[in-house]
Amino acid sequence: MIELLANVERSALSVWVRESPSLLAFPFILFLHTLGLAMLAGINVGVDAWLLGRRKLPPFELPNIYRVMWLGLGINALSGVVLLAAYPAKALTNWVFFAKLLFIGIALWVLQQLKGELAVAGGTAERDVSGRARRLALASLLLWTATIFAGRLLAYTHHILLASEGL
Amino acid sequence: MERWPVMDAFIDWLYTTPLSAFVNGYPWVWPILESLHFCALTVLAGTVGLFDLRLLGLVKGITPAALHTTLRWGVAAFFVSAITGVMFISGASEQYFYNNAFRLKAVFLVLMGANAALFYWREFAGIQTLGPRDDAPRSAKLIAAASLVFMVGVMLCGRMLTFFRPPFFH
Repeated sequence: MIELLANVERSALSVWVRESPSLLAFPFILFLHTLGLAMLAGINVGVDAWLLGRRKLPPFELPNIYRVMWLGLGINALSGVVLLAAYPAKALTNWVFFAKLLFIGIALWVLQQLKGELAVAGGTAERDVSGRARRLALASLLLWTATIFAGRLLAYTHHILLASEGL
Repeated sequence: MERWPVMDAFIDWLYTTPLSAFVNGYPWVWPILESLHFCALTVLAGTVGLFDLRLLGLVKGITPAALHTTLRWGVAAFFVSAITGVMFISGASEQYFYNNAFRLKAVFLVLMGANAALFYWREFAGIQTLGPRDDAPRSAKLIAAASLVFMVGVMLCGRMLTFFRPPFFH
């Protein structure tokens, strides 16, 4: 396992991201990861906040919101894979990383459920915010909070930074 | 980067404050502050961004007035960001005051504030009456676009802080 991670660290992509002095390498990819977070989790949290702050839903349809969120997910997934390639051992030997992935997976499932709930709610007349929509919005807020905490704590909880250093 | 005696005196004073002692006194404080700062950024970007997207017409099917209610969360998130930001500065002042990325971030924050003030002064009353599929006036769209640009600027500069630390910062 460690040998495999060390091989990834020796790949051209990994070395470039980690060691290039260019701001377009590690710093910019890190920024893209933050931008993706704002687009996916941020907009999702915005929708959650909107739902939790209302008793009744006005008639609405928001298909483009999901396009923005999926674009954010794409940016996050790509930048996340590149960041993982730069320091594979740092993440893959730390359970916090897997907890983060689990939180993201559940948050995306909740988002899909909420999308279905909102599609039901969106009609032509004002209607009550359902109890299920409120629970989903609250779960979404908690899950994205947990994801962000896990992501930040990764930097402080790893045991191995580079697998190749230990070989 | 040249050091300024007045700035250094201020930094020395900051390091004597109880807040600085708290931030630097416990190993868990900084990671928790970072996590809270990111959570607040997410809420701020999401609520303000959603409203901006509606004004720009990229998201329609809801009145701007209905979405405006979420901005209360954004305001609360801004205060959490500001409080955690001040705590960061008190804990590692040199990293911020002698850092061009931080200076640019501060400029973007001021621009964000001025842009928001301009929106409430000139556009807010007009957008209150818009229907779910109505276009916002061009001037409101410009303000919304500027808001998104300034927010991305804040994020970019915030992320670049670490890479523009002054050489004398440890």
